[in-house]
Amino acid sequence: MPSELKVVLPGDLIPAADENDNSQMEVDDEAPVVRLGPGLTQVQEDIVSMKAGVLKHQDTGNKWWLESNQRRYVAATGESVIGIVVARLAEYYRVDIGAAQSAILPILAFEGATKKNKPNLIPGTLVYARVTLANKDMEAELQCFNPSSGKADGYGELKGGFVVKCSLGLCRRLLNPETPILSFLGEHFPFETAVGMNGRIWVNSEGPKYTILLANAIKNSEYLSEAQCKAMVDSLVDKL
Amino acid sequence: MKRSDGRTEATQLRAFAASQSLLNRADGSAKFSFGTHLNSYLGESTVVASVVGPAEVKIRDEKMDEATVELIVRPAVGFPTTKEKVLERALRQTMEPTILSGMMPRTLIQIVVQIEQVDGNILSTAVNAISLAMLDAGLPMSSLVASITAAIDQQDNILLDPSSQELENATSVHTFAFDNTSSYNLLLSHSAGAFSEDQYFSCLEACKHASERVHAFIRTAVEKKIQKEYQQLQSSS
Repeated sequence: MPSELKVVLPGDLIPAADENDNSQMEVDDEAPVVRLGPGLTQVQEDIVSMKAGVLKHQDTGNKWWLESNQRRYVAATGESVIGIVVARLAEYYRVDIGAAQSAILPILAFEGATKKNKPNLIPGTLVYARVTLANKDMEAELQCFNPSSGKADGYGELKGGFVVKCSLGLCRRLLNPETPILSFLGEHFPFETAVGMNGRIWVNSEGPKYTILLANAIKNSEYLSEAQCKAMVDSLVDKL
Repeated sequence: MKRSDGRTEATQLRAFAASQSLLNRADGSAKFSFGTHLNSYLGESTVVASVVGPAEVKIRDEKMDEATVELIVRPAVGFPTTKEKVLERALRQTMEPTILSGMMPRTLIQIVVQIEQVDGNILSTAVNAISLAMLDAGLPMSSLVASITAAIDQQDNILLDPSSQELENATSVHTFAFDNTSSYNLLLSHSAGAFSEDQYFSCLEACKHASERVHAFIRTAVEKKIQKEYQQLQSSS
């Protein structure tokens, strides 16, 4: 195993603000600025981790964060999620995104929606949406269009297909183009997928047997190496 | 010296064993045992802990500025009794301060402890299992807890990780939990029986040293799990 993976546990001190460790940081007369991402916090003069995960560092901007895996979603601004509409109210839909509280999706937060022309989603509908507001004290707010272009850009109702539940770490890895599992599957048949950062993956293909295969393959891939993934996909496709 | 279960040293701990994410529907889960099936001449204490949360909380239990921590202990057989309630209280008071519950206001953290096998120091086993389960769930925590039990026998020896037979013959039993910061803060001190001040402090020291081994074990267990998750990306790069 490569030793580059620096695993930290809660309570571990992070060398981010260590003055003796300034060698790689470009300090130009100013005090070094440290930017902390998920999983890290400041306790008095130390930077301490709050979760078990892999410590990551980016030199530009001196950013430090923790990549950790969990099953329960905690909403964060800007993330794409897959939600299930649970209720329709006058101004908004109530959407279950797997977090502690359900999220709010305003009825007008769709592409081209106006007071006269708006989508009608019934409870149980799947939506792919972006978190626009995430605050620990409030319900999260969602949006089904890209605010910079006003276009849907893939957000909105998901029709047909199947949703797989998995860990947040697996979802994050599937969004990384280096992850091989989706391209292995793509070599065999065409399919559509939407990955939500909240541990839900929507898959759709030409027929149920392909969709079931996709769901199984994605779920199985979590703890497999690249070679094992390929063997797993090949054996599943052989059984079709 | 020879201990009742075949161990040769007073400070010898039974081998630790753990597994993580073993429950499918919980947000985090872990099993921790003192003693494994591998060396079957030793008894075994095993506990499974599961963590659900941060989840929706009943309005009645809702706290506006922090998470509600609920801890339930289920015995290996039968219904929960007063003994389990005492254990619940001790465990909640140990674990609650390490959870950064201010980051998850108006939510519920439910921890369920299922005792599987008992052969001494069930309190320590439960603390270690919950620690590992909370790591698996990814709850924000200020530090990590590990616990060790010591017993003082009639010859005034300090026996670490006592079996239930040794506990029966002990004059006093002490359970301590420490965090993983450099100052090894004491988070749990639970004693029963008659003992002197000196005996108490020598137990405290012995357990502090032994808890480092539990912390090291937890670290290795978590590292192994994380490396397994990352192997797909590493082989491609």
